[in-house]
Amino acid sequence: MRNLLDFLKEYHHWFIFILLEVASGFLLFQYNSYQGSAWFSSANAVAGKVYEWESEATKFFTLSQANEELTTRNFYLERQVDQLKRLYADLTKDTTVMERNELQFLSQYKLIPAKVVDNSVHKTENLMTIDKGRADGVEVDMGVACGRGVVGVVYLVSDHYSVVIPVLNATSSRISCAIRNRGYFGYLHWYGGDPTVAYVEDVPRHAKFRLGEWIVTSGFSSIFPSGVSVGKIEQAYNSRDGLSYKLKVRLSTDFSCLRDVCVISDKSIAERAALLQAARDSINVVNKK
Amino acid sequence: MAGSIINRLIMFVTLLLVQVLVLNHVWLLNVATPLLYVFFVITFPRNSAKGEVLAWSFCLGLLIDLFSNTPGMASGTMTLVALLQPYLLELFVPRDSADNLEVKSATLGWTKYLTFSLILTFLYCLVFFALEAFNFFEWQLWLLRTVGSTVLTMILMIAIDSVRSK
Repeated sequence: MRNLLDFLKEYHHWFIFILLEVASGFLLFQYNSYQGSAWFSSANAVAGKVYEWESEATKFFTLSQANEELTTRNFYLERQVDQLKRLYADLTKDTTVMERNELQFLSQYKLIPAKVVDNSVHKTENLMTIDKGRADGVEVDMGVACGRGVVGVVYLVSDHYSVVIPVLNATSSRISCAIRNRGYFGYLHWYGGDPTVAYVEDVPRHAKFRLGEWIVTSGFSSIFPSGVSVGKIEQAYNSRDGLSYKLKVRLSTDFSCLRDVCVISDKSIAERAALLQAARDSINVVNKK
Repeated sequence: MAGSIINRLIMFVTLLLVQVLVLNHVWLLNVATPLLYVFFVITFPRNSAKGEVLAWSFCLGLLIDLFSNTPGMASGTMTLVALLQPYLLELFVPRDSADNLEVKSATLGWTKYLTFSLILTFLYCLVFFALEAFNFFEWQLWLLRTVGSTVLTMILMIAIDSVRSK
């Protein structure tokens, strides 16, 4: 007994030490989630490394998915803002019938997110390839837009890819557009050279607008819904024949770093095309007689 | 005896406040943080009751932890260093010196004092940053931080010691 007491007296600080260290260790693992989790994972460093690789890989993929979603979302919201603006203007005159019409109008477009796999801006006849095709619901003459504005029109479709004629195609691209909130329309023409500048032609002489106002798609062509932004008016010139204005437009889409785009699928487009074809056919028949 | 306890207490509070208010914000070259509170353990005089040394050091470490959100890290390391301090000190005290010899350069001599505090500080930083990193995947960073912090702490301690010795 005496020996035990002596022993305790001599070495009691060791017990204090162990007690305090246990207390510290408890604090360390209890309140420090990092050490707590490292306790398990460091015992299995291989698994940790594998998980790290996995997260590196999936991070990349989820990032591109997130990007795609954001583009779609952005486009959708931009459309909605435009719709609501018009709705607001119309509602002050009309009743809720307008609202239903507008919502119907909005729901007739379906957006197909796509990735640009090939692109050029330095030629005069640029073409662009996207990674969605017939299998994904893309058809010829559908509009293509990105979160920042118009891109172009689908020209050729294969099963899994499509070729798009972007705005930056001097010979083939003519997109009908209008001055936002004013309605005067013209068509968008690019002459080559600077990929950030295009021209709107055939704007009537009596049109009123200010520099810096937005040019948007007009919605007349059934390729693009109305209100997709094109760019800002930078300068106005007289056309060569003096009958119309030519507006220099700073494009809102940056074609040189385009990656995520949306193909705008309009359910009514086939109907409209069929109707137009029917009309032409009937005119031809009448003419032949 | 009472005087020494009050001295200890003043030192305790001062080191705690200096550490949490000033030195914890120092992050030199992204590696070195001075951990000056080790000074508290190093300066326990010879033949202090070992239990007391442990208790004091643990408390200081605990409070540092409380302020810097590192539960258990400083307290555990401080306790470890406090356990080793009396044994290590025995190796350094000159022959036939006083029982309650104070630990400073004036009594130990510069070389011995420096070696003694360097060993303890290095040990402290080594264990502290090991606990912080916990797994040794980035052992280079761990060593870099240990060495950097040791150097910074030593510079501060030498400065304090030279003031105290005058």
